[in-house]
Amino acid sequence: MKLSPAISQYVMPSEHCPAPEVRAADLPDISAVKITDLFPEIPKGYLHNEGIDFIRQATEEALSRVDMRMIKPEHSVNILCSEHGFYLLEGMHYLEMLKAIKDVVFERTGCRRITLKLAAGMGYRESNEIISQFNLKDHFNGRVRPICAFDRGIPIETEIGTLYGLAGAYDADWIIHAGHDEPRDLYFYRMIDRLLKAFVMSYARFETRSVYHGNFGNRSCAFLQRAMFDAPFVQEKFTFGCFLRLTPAGVTGVAASNNLYRLGEEITVDLLRDYGKMLRLFAEIDDCIAILDGGRYGYYLHAGGIVFGCLENVRYDAFDLSQPAALAYFDLLGRMAKGENEKMEHIMFVNPALKAVVINQAWPGIPMAGLPLEIPTFVVGEKMIEITRMDAANPSFMDLSEPAEDLPQAMAMAKEAAGTDKVLVFDGSFGYINLSAPLAETLFQKAPGVKEQVEKKFLPLWLKQRGIDPAQI
Amino acid sequence: MRVVNYISQVDETKCTGCKRCEIVCPPAAIKVINKVATVDSEKCLACNKCWHVCPEDAVSIVPRETELIVGVDFEEVDAEAIEALCRKAHFFPEQFVCACTLTLAKEVAAAIIKGAKTPEAVTAMTGVRSGCAIYCMGPILRMLKAHGIKIEAPDTHRWYDLSLSLWDVPTAVAEKHPEYYLKDDQTEFNE
Repeated sequence: MKLSPAISQYVMPSEHCPAPEVRAADLPDISAVKITDLFPEIPKGYLHNEGIDFIRQATEEALSRVDMRMIKPEHSVNILCSEHGFYLLEGMHYLEMLKAIKDVVFERTGCRRITLKLAAGMGYRESNEIISQFNLKDHFNGRVRPICAFDRGIPIETEIGTLYGLAGAYDADWIIHAGHDEPRDLYFYRMIDRLLKAFVMSYARFETRSVYHGNFGNRSCAFLQRAMFDAPFVQEKFTFGCFLRLTPAGVTGVAASNNLYRLGEEITVDLLRDYGKMLRLFAEIDDCIAILDGGRYGYYLHAGGIVFGCLENVRYDAFDLSQPAALAYFDLLGRMAKGENEKMEHIMFVNPALKAVVINQAWPGIPMAGLPLEIPTFVVGEKMIEITRMDAANPSFMDLSEPAEDLPQAMAMAKEAAGTDKVLVFDGSFGYINLSAPLAETLFQKAPGVKEQVEKKFLPLWLKQRGIDPAQI
Repeated sequence: MRVVNYISQVDETKCTGCKRCEIVCPPAAIKVINKVATVDSEKCLACNKCWHVCPEDAVSIVPRETELIVGVDFEEVDAEAIEALCRKAHFFPEQFVCACTLTLAKEVAAAIIKGAKTPEAVTAMTGVRSGCAIYCMGPILRMLKAHGIKIEAPDTHRWYDLSLSLWDVPTAVAEKHPEYYLKDDQTEFNE
């Protein structure tokens, strides 16, 4: 078992959520495990401290195979991007890709009216902070605009009726979809058409997002992203997509295409294979304490490229499309409906291996209200407690959680409540996982079996269910 | 039931009356009067939307002097009527429709049966959509329409009338795209 000293992989400074005094990575019993020591076959990528120069070259190379002839010098172009990309390994890779897209489009088309449209979830506070921290106005000659779910919408006629996009996303002659392939909350969209998801989330009004999450199941909702992307209005403006590529072991490059369905199939093979192993490995954990420790929404903090929300829902194989369980945040439904511990078959419930959660740092604003109803939850420090208490998205959270003065105290409380010393840190890490030695031992024991299971049993099933034949790609 | 301990406060010296806060406010608690945003303390649920969109940093969220409690006692409403409305809208009555406030479908149904006719009224009565405000609009509109209420979207972009659901997908479309499990999910959820 190889252990490395733990470091905080990802700490985005944010005025909305100040950094804690002690990082989880600084705790004496926290070490790091390298992803490629667990799964040597997962392609190693670049981490946040290993340079970004290769990104420009990779972007130029990927775009060399893309048709841009539809863009004329007198046209306007919106490069659509999302806040999430800026949180991946401190965001510099994503930034460099966006800058390179702008430069290549100008060089090849002569078009100067290229505007970066930065989509954020809740409002302009998030995007304005990113625009400032990443000097986006300088990089894009002042042509940067935030867009959010509450902005003016635009009706888009689709195969199943009208959906609403953000008018600001589509107010140019052409759009470029500039994303990333990190799977994030895959329990919601089940890894169906990953590259199209932003069309019903980041670039869409809140009503569309609501319909996606609240009015469809987790498999069928993926049809909405296809319907939106295929809509004539969107297709008339769409040029190409360009995506930062990551494995759980870091940033591996850039991919681009005019054909998102084709590119999507290629990328899906890699995502199912690499992230599938990490997910199945996390599913093998029999008990653990999770620490959330980064300036980002709690559910979307990474450990080895896997977000916390995936650990919470890992009891279900989200990649297996034959299992219908849906709507992860309705996890109490079954218990309330049928009494005590009996759960409804069709509703996901919280991973029973998750014995306690410690929140050292996490942004407010995204619903996690059900978490402390199910799991002992500890919130660290006066600032984080105050932020949590004021969080409108989690109004009862602090009433159900235990306050702790500092991280060591919270960990002592959590270990007592959980009865385990296996600790998994979600601090934005790719390449490594910060964890306690007993959990590292479990992961090393389980990894060879998981590798074999995924490669021989699960991956063929997952691909078949999606109609993907790797031999044809 | 939602207990609200905070309230939005507008700095009148900074407010320009641009109405962005008024447009995004889920319970319609903010109105711009004489070019200044004014907060109705009986309605404000401190959802932060006004704070998020204010370009002048004129809004802050401060503690309330006395807490505001919102919620509908569904025990006061005929249980069979609640059940019938939920079923008609394809909801399980015990289902959460708001992941933030953990408001149940039966509470939204009770609010509508008690007279709520708009999403704003449902929010003001139940507290639903006072958190992230992103995921629960579709279910609210579904429930209002199932009760026979004619939806009239506002002139502004406060909200758009969108309640499309799994049960609205035409059979032909579902059969054309089996890879999206539309029919399967319809069956699963109906069960």
